[in-house]
Amino acid sequence: MNATAILYVEDEETDVMLLQHVLAKAGIHNPVRTARDGKVAMDYLAGHPPFDDRQLHPLPGLVLLDLNLPYLSGFEVLEWIRQQPQLRRLPVVIFTSSNRPDDIIRAYDAGANAYLVKPNALGDLMTLVLALRDFWLIQNRLPH
Amino acid sequence: MKAPVVRILLVEDSLSDALLLQESLSEDRPGDFEFTHAECWAEAARCMHHNQFDMLLLDLSLPDITGRDTFLRARAEAPHLPIVVLTGETNEALGLDAVRHGIQDYLIKGQAYGRQTVRSIRFAIERKQVEEALQHTEAALRESEQQLREWNADLERRVAERTATLEETISDLEDFSHSITHDLRAPLRAIRSFAQILGEECVTCGRPRAQEHINRITSAAARMDKLIQDVLQYSKLARSELPLEPVDVQALLRGIIESYPAFQPPEVEIQIEGPLPRLLGNEAALTQCFSNLLGNAIKFVPPGTRPSVRVWAERLEDPKAEVRIPEEGRSPKPDKCDELLPIGTDQSPVTKHQSFVTQRATRNTQNAPPSSSPLPTVRLWFADNGVGIPKDAQERIFKMFQRLDKSYDGTGVGLTVVRKAVEKMGGKVGLESEPGCGSRFWVELRAADQPG
Repeated sequence: MNATAILYVEDEETDVMLLQHVLAKAGIHNPVRTARDGKVAMDYLAGHPPFDDRQLHPLPGLVLLDLNLPYLSGFEVLEWIRQQPQLRRLPVVIFTSSNRPDDIIRAYDAGANAYLVKPNALGDLMTLVLALRDFWLIQNRLPH
Repeated sequence: MKAPVVRILLVEDSLSDALLLQESLSEDRPGDFEFTHAECWAEAARCMHHNQFDMLLLDLSLPDITGRDTFLRARAEAPHLPIVVLTGETNEALGLDAVRHGIQDYLIKGQAYGRQTVRSIRFAIERKQVEEALQHTEAALRESEQQLREWNADLERRVAERTATLEETISDLEDFSHSITHDLRAPLRAIRSFAQILGEECVTCGRPRAQEHINRITSAAARMDKLIQDVLQYSKLARSELPLEPVDVQALLRGIIESYPAFQPPEVEIQIEGPLPRLLGNEAALTQCFSNLLGNAIKFVPPGTRPSVRVWAERLEDPKAEVRIPEEGRSPKPDKCDELLPIGTDQSPVTKHQSFVTQRATRNTQNAPPSSSPLPTVRLWFADNGVGIPKDAQERIFKMFQRLDKSYDGTGVGLTVVRKAVEKMGGKVGLESEPGCGSRFWVELRAADQPG
């Protein structure tokens, strides 16, 4: 069985690079795909071209979703995911720098499975990534 | 002194009656009255149109109008003129009815006119004048009331507008701090993290200077991040409401110490010399204050010194007199440094908290009901064995970004937060300190319970 793929929806290139760096350092080799905005994320998840080859662009078992995205916000992407029959159970972890209570409530209301605030120190990011791996990729049973 | 001539419009269809009346009045007071005679209401109306009168003498059976209608119409058409009606002997009830409808008086026709009549006429004029004045006053009053209502409505509208503007400002500020968190901290995160990655890659590069420079970038970025967080925390505190509730400060302090290894032995020693009374405060804000005060107390020690902190409570006797007592007059000033050293010195000022303890002990046995007298003020002391603060800097340290010694880590926001929070809870903060003798910071708040 292939390792669970992760889709990271993030427009900040440095954040993408940091996560990839930490994943590599933590020895996590699951395929990680990135989407730079909400529209791309939807196309990817729906398997629309250019993402129609599922060998190259595997359907993720976990989505890391930033809230502050261009064109469509993370909330809109999340709401869209929950409306798709084949995606509605897909675990979505919000990964954002917003600590606002309003955002947290809205995210859970929209069907987020977890809400994580981006750490500011590299060491804290490592701790968070290890916890993510242990919980979502090892302990947790994903719906298939 | 002669009164001015009274100009009377006499409305009477019987010429003889009219003459009789005029004569008897003029006979008694010659020159006091000036008569104009009208034989019907239409003529009377014409007269009033062309001339000014002081009063109307009105017969109630005229060719063009009779009875009740007569005075009702006269009253309506000459609303400001004093009116006295003339009724027949058998019809006094009509006269009374007239008086009830705003007519000033009635005279019975055929009775001897004379002094009584004159008086009636003069009274009628007087009464009408008073009535008019009263109506005037009432109208003015109604107008004022109306004006007041309008002002009130206007004021309410302006308050509502102002509130809306303020709410908008607050919401703008919240958006602003939110965007600071987001947009200012994101590039900082990148700088900090990539500098760290670079540093890790540089470990083996064999260039120690480069490594040091990278470390400087990392720590500057970390400091900047801490500054942003602290300022945000301050602005959030400054904006928020701090509802007061009784807080068990002793449990709160113990909780803070237990959750931070930095506050625990063997590195530091923090002693709470309890029992501490419950205080009126906001638990979240107090947690912040105590953490900042304890953090400062253990941070600013001379190199090689093991930080040690004592916390105790002092009940201030009279909360009202308290406000004006100068700093020096309240607790004995230490002559020697020894008295400020908190732990292990016998001269440490335990007398205060001991007396407090005794008071508590006796109070607990009585369980007195709360009275209306003001709650006593309690001063919580935090005494450290740190480097101390010179007198001339003691006010400055509560200001934003003020740091006395840059060799200690810090943002210069901690005490600003403490002061803001305590003041928002209705209390005060202060300190006693001398360089080399440690510092004793205090926080003053209302006790949550009445003494005995």
